[in-house]
Amino acid sequence: MTLFDRVFGGNDAVYGLTEAAIDKAIAEHGADKAVAFPHTAYSLPCYYAVTGTKVANLGELKTALGVVKTLMTREKRLNDAFMSGVATALCAEFIEVLKYIDGATPYEEPLYGHLADATIRELGVPLVTGDIPGVAVILGSAPTKEDAVALVKSYQAQGILVTLVGGVIDQCVEAGLNMGYAVRIVPLGKDVTAVIHVVSVALRAALIFGNVTPGDAANLMKYTFERVPAFVNAFKPLDDVIVACGAGAIALGFPVVTNETENIFRVPKSLIVQEDVDKFNATSLEARDIKIKITKIDIPVSFASAFEGEIIRKGDMQVEFDGSRKDCFELVQTKELTAVEDHKFTLIGKDFDEFEVGSKNAISYIVDVAGKNMQSDFEPVFERKFHSYLNCIEGMMHTGQRDMIRIRISKATFEAGFRAKDLAEVLYANIKNEFDAVVDKCAVTIITDDAECTKLRHELAIPAYDRRDERLTTLTDEAVPVYYSCIMCQAFSPSHVCVVTPERLGLCGAVSWLDAKATNELDPQGPCQVITKERVIDENLGRYEDVDEAVAKFSQGALEHVTLYSIMEDPMTSCGCFECICGIEPCSNGVAITNREYAGMTPLGMTFGELASMTGGGVQTPGFMGHGKHFIASKKFMKAEGGFERIVWMPKDLKETVADRLNKAAKEVYDIDNFTDMIGDETIATDPETLLEFLTEKGHPALGLDPLM
Amino acid sequence: MPFNGKSGKFNASIGAVEVGCGEKAMKIGGENVLPFYTFDAPIENAPKVGVMITDLGLDNEPESVKAYYEGCTTMADIAKKAAEMPGADFVCLKLEGADPNGQDKSVEDCMAVVKEVVDAIDVPLVIAGCKNVSKDAELLTKASEVAQGKNVIILAAKEEDYKGIGAAAGLAYNQKVGAESAVDINLAKQLNVLISQLGVAPANIVMNVGTAAVGYGFEYVVSTMDRIKAAALSQDDKQLQMPIITPVADEAWNVKEAMASEEDMPEWGNQEARGVGMEVSTAASVLASGSNAVILKHPTSVATISKMIKELM
Repeated sequence: MTLFDRVFGGNDAVYGLTEAAIDKAIAEHGADKAVAFPHTAYSLPCYYAVTGTKVANLGELKTALGVVKTLMTREKRLNDAFMSGVATALCAEFIEVLKYIDGATPYEEPLYGHLADATIRELGVPLVTGDIPGVAVILGSAPTKEDAVALVKSYQAQGILVTLVGGVIDQCVEAGLNMGYAVRIVPLGKDVTAVIHVVSVALRAALIFGNVTPGDAANLMKYTFERVPAFVNAFKPLDDVIVACGAGAIALGFPVVTNETENIFRVPKSLIVQEDVDKFNATSLEARDIKIKITKIDIPVSFASAFEGEIIRKGDMQVEFDGSRKDCFELVQTKELTAVEDHKFTLIGKDFDEFEVGSKNAISYIVDVAGKNMQSDFEPVFERKFHSYLNCIEGMMHTGQRDMIRIRISKATFEAGFRAKDLAEVLYANIKNEFDAVVDKCAVTIITDDAECTKLRHELAIPAYDRRDERLTTLTDEAVPVYYSCIMCQAFSPSHVCVVTPERLGLCGAVSWLDAKATNELDPQGPCQVITKERVIDENLGRYEDVDEAVAKFSQGALEHVTLYSIMEDPMTSCGCFECICGIEPCSNGVAITNREYAGMTPLGMTFGELASMTGGGVQTPGFMGHGKHFIASKKFMKAEGGFERIVWMPKDLKETVADRLNKAAKEVYDIDNFTDMIGDETIATDPETLLEFLTEKGHPALGLDPLM
Repeated sequence: MPFNGKSGKFNASIGAVEVGCGEKAMKIGGENVLPFYTFDAPIENAPKVGVMITDLGLDNEPESVKAYYEGCTTMADIAKKAAEMPGADFVCLKLEGADPNGQDKSVEDCMAVVKEVVDAIDVPLVIAGCKNVSKDAELLTKASEVAQGKNVIILAAKEEDYKGIGAAAGLAYNQKVGAESAVDINLAKQLNVLISQLGVAPANIVMNVGTAAVGYGFEYVVSTMDRIKAAALSQDDKQLQMPIITPVADEAWNVKEAMASEEDMPEWGNQEARGVGMEVSTAASVLASGSNAVILKHPTSVATISKMIKELM
C-alpha cells in the first residue's frame, strides 16, 4: 500500500459518508432546507474560500459535493494527493454543517465546534504580532493522559493556541486540565471531522487578513503556508481518513507530526514521524519554523542596561575570571541544525559556588548557533554583543573580548543565587531574541575546568579567531559580490549615503562591510541595503552605474555620482560622524589627515572642526573627504590618486594608532620600510613650508608623484 | 521670444485616501503637484481641517474653547459641536485619559467614549491614542473594533506597535492606519513598508511624519515633509505616496508661548491669543510643507486655517 492508496482510500470513504449524510438530510428536510454555520459571513467558510461559491441550502450542498468530486483525481501524483486531502476537508465541513441544521447546538461545554468570525478577528491580531506564535492541532489519543496533558501544557507555556480533536479531549478532561479559549486550549469536537473548525479559522484568516479573493485557491494556500503558523500532531493509530485529512493539512502548508510507524510514509518537512511524544513540541516548532519570543530572562538578579557601567570592586567580588592570567575565551560557532539542541546548557568544571571567594579562575563559554539563514560571518557580530549582554546583569562586570576577557561577579549577585546556568541563560535569551532572523537554535557550554579551558582555547578558539582574521584580510572589494549602503545618519544629514565595501568601512568607523551585511540580513528594511556592483564604469576610480543609481535613490536625488576610490572626482560624501578628515596639501602634492581627537592646527591651515564644516552635511567637496581610521591603511585609500603614499601629515597619536598596519601595507604595496617615519606630525610641523622641508629631507614618495590638481 | 509657462506637475501623485462614510466622507491626498501649486495642475482634494476633542472633556481647555462648547454635558454633545465648528471637515477624538502616567483610564471606559462619539457624529473621525506605546497597542486595537464600519483613521501605529494596531485597524476591521514616525524620511518609509508587508493596502495608510511647534526645531519638520513630497512626486516612490496628516494642536498648545500665564509674562500679551498664534502658524507651515490634513482645537484657528486653504485653492 502506498501513501496515495491511503489518501485516496480515506478520501473515498469520507466522500461516501458525506454523500449518504446529505441524501439522508434531503430526504428528511427537503432540498430547500437552509444550512449555515452560526456567526459567520462566510457561509461554509472552507468551501467558500476554496471555490468562491456560497452554499445556502441542502440542494446547493449536494451540488457543491459534485464540485468536490472534481478535486478527487486519482493520478498518483503529489498534487492529486493534496487535492484529495482538500476534498476530504471539504467533506468534513459538509458533515459538520449538517449538525447545525435548524439552529441546533451540536457542541456543548467544553467543546467549541464552529468558531465565530468575531473570534477570528480577535485571534488574527495576536497571530500577526506573534503574541500567539503558532496554532497546534492535536488529533487522536495520546499514549497516556499524562502525555496528553504534558504536550498541551508545553504549547500553552509557549503561548501557542492549542486545538484538540478526538480522544485527547477526554484525556485532558479526565486529568482535570483547565481548558477554554481564554487559556488558549480549545477542544473542538470528538469526531475527526471537527478538525475542519480549525481549518475554517485558518482559511477565514486568509480572507479577512490576507485579502485573498474567495475562490483563489492558489493564493489561499500561499497565505496559509506563509502566514498561518499551524501544525498537526496526530497520535497513532492513523486510519486512512486521518491520513487523507493530513494530506489536506499539508496542502495548506501545515506539517503533520505523528508517532505512527506502521504503514506510514515520511515526507520531509511535511509528514514527520517522531516516536517520542515528549519531542512532539520541539519537532513541530522546528518543522513549522516557529520561534518563541523570550519576554523575561529567568535569572535571580535584574537584567537591564542600567547596570551596564557597574564597577565591581575587589572587596565586593565573589569570584573573578581573568583572561590575562588564565586561559579564558568566548566563542560563537555556527553548527548544522541537527547538531544543536536548542536551549541546551552544559557546564564543564565547577559552578560558581565551588570557587574560593575572591579567587581568580578560568572561564570559557561556547555558544553554538544554528539556523537556515545563519552565516559564519555573523559570528563576530554576535560575539561583540556579549560584552553588553553580560554587563547588563546586575552585579556582573565584563571587559575585553575573544580570549582577553575579564569577568567579576559580585557577592550580592552570587548570594542571590546567580550561577553558571544563569550566565548561559542570559547569552541564550539575548542571542535568540536579538538575532531571531538568523538563529533558529542556540546552545551554551560553559567551561570552568582549567585544563579544558587551556585545551579548547588553543585547539578551538584561537584557530577560529585566526580564520576570521584571515577572512578579513582576504575580504577585498573585488572578492565580494555586493556592497552595502548605510543611511543611518540621514536623520541629521539627509543627503548623505555611505557606500560600505570590505576595504572601505563606513566613515564613522563603526560599520564594516560585515556589520552592514549582518544589519541587512537581520533588518531587511533597515538602513543597510544591498548595492550591486555589476555595471562597472571605471575600475580605477571605483565608478559603477549600480552605485550611482543607489546613491541617487537613497539620497532622494541629491547625489548623482560617487566614486569609491577618488578624493578628487565625485568623492564619497560625509555625514558628520567621520573619525578622520583628509584634505589635499598642495605644496607637497600629498594629503594631510586629521582626526576628531586632535584639536590643534594642521598644515592645511584649518583645524578638524573647520575642516568638518566644509566636509560634512552630505556635500561633495573635491579634495576633502571624511573617513574611518581603519581606512587609512586600506589599499583602496584614494587609490585613484595613487593611494596612501600620498599621506604627508597626521597627528602623532593617530600616526601611532595606524603605524603597524600602515607600515605593513606600505612595505607590501610600495616596498617602503617604516613609511610612518616619513609622515609629518604636529611635533614636526603645522605649516606647509616646514613640512615640505621635512618631507624633502625624508625623501617622501608623494613629492615625486603626478600633481593632484 | 514669448514666455512659455511650464507646468510643474508631476507624473506621479500622492495617493488619495477616503475616510469616513456616507455623504460626509472625505478624501485626502491625490494631488500631483507641490502643496497649493494649483497653477500647475488642479488639486482635487483640498487639505482638510480636523477638530481635536479629548475624553478628558473641557476642564483644561482655554476660555474660548470652553465658551464654544458651552452647554455640552456629554462627550456626544462635545463631538457634535466639534463636527459643526465652522471650517471643520472632521473630528479627532484623542483618548488622552488612558495614559498610565495620567488618569490611566481603563480600556473599557475609553471604549465607552469611543462608542458614544462614533454614534453621535456622521463626519469622518480620527481616533488618537494616548502616546503610551503599550497602552495604545491595546487601546487602538480595541478602538478599531468598536468603530467598525465607520472607516476611521487610527492614529497611530508606530514602529514599536505597528503589528497589532496595523493588523487590527488595517486588516481585521477595515479602518485606515495612521503610520507615525519621528521626523525622519527613512523611518517614515520603513514604517510604510512594514505596514504594507502586513498586508495593509497603501490606500489604507496615512502618515503622521511627526511635527513640532514652529520655532521648536521646526526646520526638521519642513525638510522632512519637503523631501517626502519630493521623493513621492519626482521619484515616484510608492512607499512615500501616502497622504500626511499632522496633529498640530498637541504641539502648539504645549509650548511656553502658549502656556506661560499673563501674570508671568505680561509683555507677551493675552495667553490664549498666543496659543492661537502658535497653532495657526504651525498649521499653515505644515500645510505649506505638504501636510494633507491638520488637527487643531481652537475655533479661531480652525476658521483661520480653513479660510487660508480656501483662498489658496
